[in-house]
Amino acid sequence: VQPPEKPLQAEEWKRLRENFQSPEIFEEVMLNSMIRCNSHVDVAKSLLTCVAKSDGDVGYNLLIKYLALCVQQQKTSEICDVYDIMKMRFKTLESGAYNLLIRGLSNSDKWRMALTILEDVKKVMTPPRTSYESCIKAATQHQEMNLACELYHDMLAKDLVPTLDVLQVFFDFSRGMKDAELKKQLFGILLYLRDNQIYPHGMFMRSIKLWFESIPGENWRGHITNIKHSGKCPVCHHQLEDSNLTEEEYHILKERITADVIHGRDTFRKTTPQEFEAFQAFVEDRLPFDIVIDGLNVSHIKAKKMQCENLFHAINCLAKENARLLVLGRKHMLFNSSNWNREVMKEMQNKADFFFADNISEDDAFLLYATLKSGKHCRFVTRDFLRDHKACLSDSLTRHLFRKWQRGHQIMVFPSAEGKPFNFLPAFNYDCVVQTTGDTWHIPYKDTFEEKYSYQVPRKWLCLQRKQ
Amino acid sequence: MQAMNTLLKNFAKCSAFPFAVQHGMKKDLFPLRRTLILSPCLKEASSHSASEKLDLDEWKKVMKSGVQEASEGVSEHKELSTVAAAREAVEMWRLAGRSVPENISDDQLKTLMECPSKASKKKYLKFLYLKELYKKNDKRKMEEKRERRLQAQAERESKPDDVKRNSFICSWASAMDKAHNWRVAQSMIFGQPLVFDMSFENDMSPREVTNTVRQIVFSESCNRKSMDPFHIHFCNFQDNSQYHREFIKQYREAWDKLLITVTEQCYTEVFPKNKIIYLTADSPKVMKTFEHDKVYIIGSMVDKSIKTGVSLARAKRLGLETASLPLEKYLFWTSGAKNLTLDQMMHILLTLKDTGDWRKALEFVPKRKYCGFVGKSMTDLRKSLNVVNTLKLGKGGQEAQKRQFAKNYSKKLIHE
Repeated sequence: VQPPEKPLQAEEWKRLRENFQSPEIFEEVMLNSMIRCNSHVDVAKSLLTCVAKSDGDVGYNLLIKYLALCVQQQKTSEICDVYDIMKMRFKTLESGAYNLLIRGLSNSDKWRMALTILEDVKKVMTPPRTSYESCIKAATQHQEMNLACELYHDMLAKDLVPTLDVLQVFFDFSRGMKDAELKKQLFGILLYLRDNQIYPHGMFMRSIKLWFESIPGENWRGHITNIKHSGKCPVCHHQLEDSNLTEEEYHILKERITADVIHGRDTFRKTTPQEFEAFQAFVEDRLPFDIVIDGLNVSHIKAKKMQCENLFHAINCLAKENARLLVLGRKHMLFNSSNWNREVMKEMQNKADFFFADNISEDDAFLLYATLKSGKHCRFVTRDFLRDHKACLSDSLTRHLFRKWQRGHQIMVFPSAEGKPFNFLPAFNYDCVVQTTGDTWHIPYKDTFEEKYSYQVPRKWLCLQRKQ
Repeated sequence: MQAMNTLLKNFAKCSAFPFAVQHGMKKDLFPLRRTLILSPCLKEASSHSASEKLDLDEWKKVMKSGVQEASEGVSEHKELSTVAAAREAVEMWRLAGRSVPENISDDQLKTLMECPSKASKKKYLKFLYLKELYKKNDKRKMEEKRERRLQAQAERESKPDDVKRNSFICSWASAMDKAHNWRVAQSMIFGQPLVFDMSFENDMSPREVTNTVRQIVFSESCNRKSMDPFHIHFCNFQDNSQYHREFIKQYREAWDKLLITVTEQCYTEVFPKNKIIYLTADSPKVMKTFEHDKVYIIGSMVDKSIKTGVSLARAKRLGLETASLPLEKYLFWTSGAKNLTLDQMMHILLTLKDTGDWRKALEFVPKRKYCGFVGKSMTDLRKSLNVVNTLKLGKGGQEAQKRQFAKNYSKKLIHE
């Protein structure tokens, strides 16, 4: 339905209502379309007046829709009026109404009222993150940075994840301020990005750059750059951190992979205890490996070639400089078939160690175990993104560790068109997270319109350095 | 009770107002005054525009004037227990027009509060809402039916000479029951065993357990009504487990009279290991024929989150043979998981047992999951697949799907 242009009389509304196909929801549908068309509030008011006159009451659902319209158009006094009415009429409100009120009021000069409403909400439930965000934005806009920081920490304490927009406003509104405490808070935000492996987008990156350059008396300079494979920043020639885990982190990751990925709730789901024991003994016997290869994954690279041929080429490429190789496969590879030639298999077994799992076991779990067991220098080869294994890990901290470790240790294989059989995309030599040395900051960012998958890392960096 | 009170008050308030408006009480109280003062001097000039004059804020006054009663209601009970607070919140959501049930019991509220996240709360409330809606609709239909029946009866009574010509006494239902029970009793002595593995309780949510039990009830009933029923065993069945409680809820007194074998023992203790075949969709082995001397095991599990390999792990642990249905071999699968409901499995197994005909048996796979049987003429299949794809993907995906289809088909030809 098309909402009318001007406020209507009660009779006119009634006529419209009668012509509507289902009159009982006429008001709701009409208000919805007013919100969609952004009609003038007076039109909505005239409808509510008509409803109030005929029923002596306006339902909560209609009040909320009217409130949404007012919020959309920033009619602060109307929002306050509706709030008064709601408070008088209803003992408590539900989250949708609170959220609208906070959003509407935080953009006006009555933004402090939004804060009090937020406090009220906290008594009953955890406020949604959008409510926090509205309040934080309001506080920063009025230069109440301490208040904003308080709200931000409160939000983190409640396990809510702030959007990048909110983090950005902190940088936008702190520009040029000389406040040591505030500076510490903003560095805290950057470290939050680091810990959670979040990459800012282009606009956010610009805000960070401008803020750094505006710190009085510190003479920061920011440059946008691409970092090459070596991990050396072309602007300041600083070598970026590598993605090695600390001893403790490495230990945690190893434990969790064994417990969550291999055993899970039932060892029989991915392997059997006997098989896993046999594998453990096998690995212990031949440690340490330099490269662990997912045989079946690599053997499917070129569909036109025989599977064992693919694997053979890959092993030949990797078996240079006395590298110790471990190839994981399944027992069916041992049977002579059109894809698996016994002669070729024998030859490969001279060049690398092989472990064949049962046909119904998961070889990826073994891949991770063998690589981690071999030590920090060991890499693994597979095209798999290993997302399902990451998902098996129980907490987000270990998942972050896994991602970091994966970036630094996974070699991807790609079929190449001419000459060489394959291309190898080596593991990263540096870690792709926000990082600092005190005098420099390096911040990876993604372009605003660039689509990025969770397993990809951005190639663009912001290099910040302090000139003495 | 408190909620009831406020509801009643609201209702009283609502119904009082139209009355007041009708009788013109409100007119004396507010807004018209302004127009009345203005109108004398403008009377001639704008009699038309006067009628158009609208007080846009009138509704606010109406709302505020009605407050007195409501706020009294509020002050009645200041201290709110958490349950009452939750009830209040649900009521507010209902007023806001969300999918929330009208009536909610204390037990349901407790379950609601135990939900770990907002999304799960919403989901649970929506579930209750739909349940309530279905119940209401059923009730309405029942009433309509009863009315129709009464009407028909009244009509029949008006024509009294119509005599019943049936030579049987009308008691078919109980006679059928007896016949069915006789057959099942025979199957308990001579029939082929079919085992439901009841050891998945810890892998399921309470709702999944409820669904499982309901599916088993369906399976049991279709087994009872078949020509040559299985001898059903519930193995690994613990007394007072969630399964047990749900079964009692479903069957009531009939639970103790069911003609099935319920045991705490594992199937490996009841039957020789080499006779057992565990049916699971994850099995690498595909079933070729139905064997009449084997004991088939069905895992009593509904997994809405598709936990792969749970039942396969059970069979692996005990070193049992496994098998999956040859769905790929006989059907062009389009969408949906390959795991079927327990009652569908029962239908399929019963049909196989009677006829050994896979085509007939696999008719019980839901039609939405496949687009045809392998071996039908090519053009028919292509047509139906195209219809499915245009519905699913729009026109763009058609070409790609066709290629995919051709590939699948050639694969199938090779395998056969």
